[in-house]
Amino acid sequence: MSRDPHTLAGAYALHAVDDPAERASFEEHLDRCAECAEETRGLRETAARLGSAVAQEPPAALRDRVLAEIGVVRQLPPAVSPVADLDRHRASRRPLWPRVVSGLAAAALAAAVTLGVVALRTQDLLDRERQANSRVAAVLAAPDATTVSSADGGVSARVVMSRSQGTMVFFSAGLAPLPDGKTYQLWRIGPAGPLPDRLTRPDPSGRTPPLVLGKLGDTTQVGITVEPAGGSAKPTTSPLMVMPLPPA
Amino acid sequence: MRPRRALPVDDGRHDRHELEKLLRQVALGDRVAFERVYDMVAAPVYGVVLRVLRDPAQSEEVAQEVLVEVWRAAARFDASRGSGMSWVMTIAHHRAVDRVRAAQASTVREDRAARLEVHRPYDDVAESVEATLEWERLRRCLSGLTELQRQSVTYAYYGGYTYREVAELLKVPLATVKTRMRDGLIRMRDCLGVER
Ligand SMILES: [Zn+2]
Repeated sequence: MSRDPHTLAGAYALHAVDDPAERASFEEHLDRCAECAEETRGLRETAARLGSAVAQEPPAALRDRVLAEIGVVRQLPPAVSPVADLDRHRASRRPLWPRVVSGLAAAALAAAVTLGVVALRTQDLLDRERQANSRVAAVLAAPDATTVSSADGGVSARVVMSRSQGTMVFFSAGLAPLPDGKTYQLWRIGPAGPLPDRLTRPDPSGRTPPLVLGKLGDTTQVGITVEPAGGSAKPTTSPLMVMPLPPA
Repeated sequence: MRPRRALPVDDGRHDRHELEKLLRQVALGDRVAFERVYDMVAAPVYGVVLRVLRDPAQSEEVAQEVLVEVWRAAARFDASRGSGMSWVMTIAHHRAVDRVRAAQASTVREDRAARLEVHRPYDDVAESVEATLEWERLRRCLSGLTELQRQSVTYAYYGGYTYREVAELLKVPLATVKTRMRDGLIRMRDCLGVER
């Protein structure tokens, strides 16, 4: 599986990867590889066209049954917040949440709850989201979690980092919607210059879901730019925001 | 970076933003909005479920589950991650395929291979589908694939086979099937002018 994960996007979009371990490892890869994430999204849209092209009017009675059923089915709340995840962990044998929550971590957690609209698509994707949530929660709960905030022209962004774990999570609110064909891209900036990181698009309320970025390593700044869909290897526009991280 | 794709030609795409807007209203418990969503997605949902399950009674049952799930999980739809139609169709396809797999979990492999003798997913679909514009376009794009790409994509999507099963059925190496599914879908994406 570690051989060449990039090739799995097609099978994955066709729901043809049935081995849960293999699927999980590809989903893990999607969190890391912006290119595969973007490709998978396009291939899933394509697969959906294979479906919508074979549309067929269902029997009329289906409508009545569905409308009757939604009258008694409770809807899911909008988000699965990292808190829910923390509660689960807390109930389990290994406490993930440190006894003393630092003010910063608590603030970060509050931000995560507010901003943390993590989309859940289907039961199948639940596991992936749970993993992503628990990674976000793990960073927020790290004893040395530190928050760096920045606000500029209506955009507020926040990076929560943990040196002990070597991880960072990015949150933002207020980013303008982008036309199709454009994406926001995050950059880890260090001695080697900007390294391409996750791609993101704000939801209709202007928020981006919490994103676990690549290895903290010797990153000194996190930046965000607008790039063509699919992302770039090097920034092609000047950054909207650059957030300096506190030194180790 | 990927080369720029052709501009979309498209169909149903003007409904796209409308569906997304409606899903947001549904997320707030708006039943009137849900009825409109139902009218936009019920036929695609029932169609895909029917191609995969090939049994109208079971398909109606699964389509009902899917449509109720759209109501239940509407708040989890995130337009920044894909279109509303793709969100709905992913739920529908997964439900249908999972149902087929569960039903066949106990079936031995030889039987599955035998099943393929009579079940050729693409031909079955081509024979049963209504000749709409969208189907015509899809068919044209499918015919631009190599035979192996077309079989890999359609066996998986319409037949509900895993890539391992497809490799076995077509007697080609696993790595080849994975690659054909990917490059086949990429070619379809470009041919259909799919956004994003
Ligand atoms: Zn990759």
